[in-house]
Amino acid sequence: MKLYSLSVLYKGINKSNLLKAAYDLSSFSFFQRSSVQEFMTFTSALIVERSSTGTRSSIKEQEYLCHVYVRNDSLGGVVIADGEYPSRVCFTLLDKVLDEFSRQVDSIDWPSGSPATISYTALDSYLAKYQNPREADAMTKVQAELDETKIILHNTMESLLERGEKLDDLVQKSEHLGTQSKAFYKTARKQNSCCEVM
Amino acid sequence: MAESEEEVDVLVQRVVKDINNAFKKNPNIDEIGLIPCPEARYNRSPIVLVENKLGMESWCVKFLLPFVHNKLLLYRQRKQWLDREALIDITCTLLLLNPDFTTAWNVRKELAQCGVLNPERDLYLGKLVLTKFPKSPETWIHRRWVLQQVLRQCRPRAAEQKEPGEVELGGAQGSPPNERLRRVLRDEMKVCAEAAGRYPSNYNAWSHRIWVLQNLAKGNLKILYDELSSMKLWVSTHVSDHSGFHYRQFLMKALVAELSRATDASCGPSQDLHRSHWPNGDGVGPAAAEESRTASVPELFGKELELCTDLIETYPGHETLWCHRRHVFFLWYHWRKEQSQDVGRQPSLLNHTDETLSGSLGASAGRNVQAMDVDLALEESKQTSYTQDSKRLKRGPLQLRPGLPSEHSFVTKILSGCRSPEQGRFAAAYRKWLDSVIVAADTRDAKKWFSLI
Repeated sequence: MKLYSLSVLYKGINKSNLLKAAYDLSSFSFFQRSSVQEFMTFTSALIVERSSTGTRSSIKEQEYLCHVYVRNDSLGGVVIADGEYPSRVCFTLLDKVLDEFSRQVDSIDWPSGSPATISYTALDSYLAKYQNPREADAMTKVQAELDETKIILHNTMESLLERGEKLDDLVQKSEHLGTQSKAFYKTARKQNSCCEVM
Repeated sequence: MAESEEEVDVLVQRVVKDINNAFKKNPNIDEIGLIPCPEARYNRSPIVLVENKLGMESWCVKFLLPFVHNKLLLYRQRKQWLDREALIDITCTLLLLNPDFTTAWNVRKELAQCGVLNPERDLYLGKLVLTKFPKSPETWIHRRWVLQQVLRQCRPRAAEQKEPGEVELGGAQGSPPNERLRRVLRDEMKVCAEAAGRYPSNYNAWSHRIWVLQNLAKGNLKILYDELSSMKLWVSTHVSDHSGFHYRQFLMKALVAELSRATDASCGPSQDLHRSHWPNGDGVGPAAAEESRTASVPELFGKELELCTDLIETYPGHETLWCHRRHVFFLWYHWRKEQSQDVGRQPSLLNHTDETLSGSLGASAGRNVQAMDVDLALEESKQTSYTQDSKRLKRGPLQLRPGLPSEHSFVTKILSGCRSPEQGRFAAAYRKWLDSVIVAADTRDAKKWFSLI
């Protein structure tokens, strides 16, 4: 039951802008961590880009679940979790974080902001605290409220893309991914087997 | 970049040497990994040592692995000689790349049997391999071979023991406890836990864990209790890890068997206490200890069902939790039946709980009714005089005593409040199971179930 990343982004007209992110990569192999982090950034940005404002969605990708909430004011948050972590708690967390962020960081700064320029420091402690889902306050209360909220479910990342768009192409073009990560993606895609040695 | 055979040979020798040097330089390496790196950088070693992590750049694997693999096979076919040091280094390199290459582990077995290789080095190598290949079957199999060697070294008087596989952890008949075995056991538990965390439902890791307890700590109550309690947090944070819960089921069965076995033994001075360290320590006399054990089985089940309830309610829709509930309740149900069958044979000192319960129902009560009325019997006993027996029954809160009625009311509660369609399905299926399987199980031999431990 794990949370891997928590990001706040701004959904611009054409592309999304990463404002702040926190990661917990402790469960990944040491030498893969930098690539994994880049992929989580890439995924979070892509998800916010392809989600409409005023929506909540959960996207399944391999063994991960990405939960996104894009507010009507274009402020968006993404939590990447494993399949066990209760999704309701993720949406509680997103509501809370985006609310706090919008009160601490002026909306003027959102369209052009970056992790270096934005001063919001609570993400790391939220990510750490919520590793134990029972930390979520008033969980049962949120369950009742979220019942009425519709959460769009996607079975793959592909379903977020436009017709004809390929994830492989987006990976190659992405500025969030370094050359090593792009190479890693290529070989991982080819093998897709847990018993591969090379 | 086309390599000639000589160039590959030179490269491979260098890499094998670099790996060996890395271990010499840092004896605390605790993880291995592959670094995604499609091209070699000129004249740089593909072996990277960062903090305590040993990495290998991926470009070199396609040269390294076939070459080293072939070299070992040539040695095995007696076409090429390799000295002991070279064998150790080559098998180490091979296994870090492909741990399921059984021949490499077997060469190491031979080296260990010659006395050239300390078997505990293979425990370290295996631990490293498992950081990258947490399921590797051959690694776990070899590990068990090594542990058998270690056991043999620790128990030179094995032939004198009555039962094979009996533990020396507590020290047989007053001899000092075996510190090496304790350490090995602790390390094994740690390795299993880490491997289980690296791959979901890692059956190989968990069945190894069970094997270790069965062979290094057989009948050790304290360890069984400790494991049960330390695993509680793990299963609570891995609620769909079926193998983790299966491990709890094994612990429950082993505890119940051990506690029941101790009760079955004569109530004279404790011949068996050396087998099982009672957690309360030396102050507990044998008779009282026997009583506490019998009373604690219902508590054990009660607590396990309580944990299950808590997780089912907090994390709706996980089938693993419902499967676990079935296992636990099934075990409880058959233990109860076995207890009620044995009531006549037991001296009353050891079996207060059952006497009170079955006595109050009368001999004419059918088995079915008796089991279902466990809760009812408690109510009746409350009205009788406040004896030592009823005090013991009341030691825990009443809801710690499981039974069919409480199971049914649990299902009803879940169904009435649940919003998850999966949770509803699982609850309804559980109810159906209670009605069909549990009732049908009445006609089967309960002892047959316990013989499966």
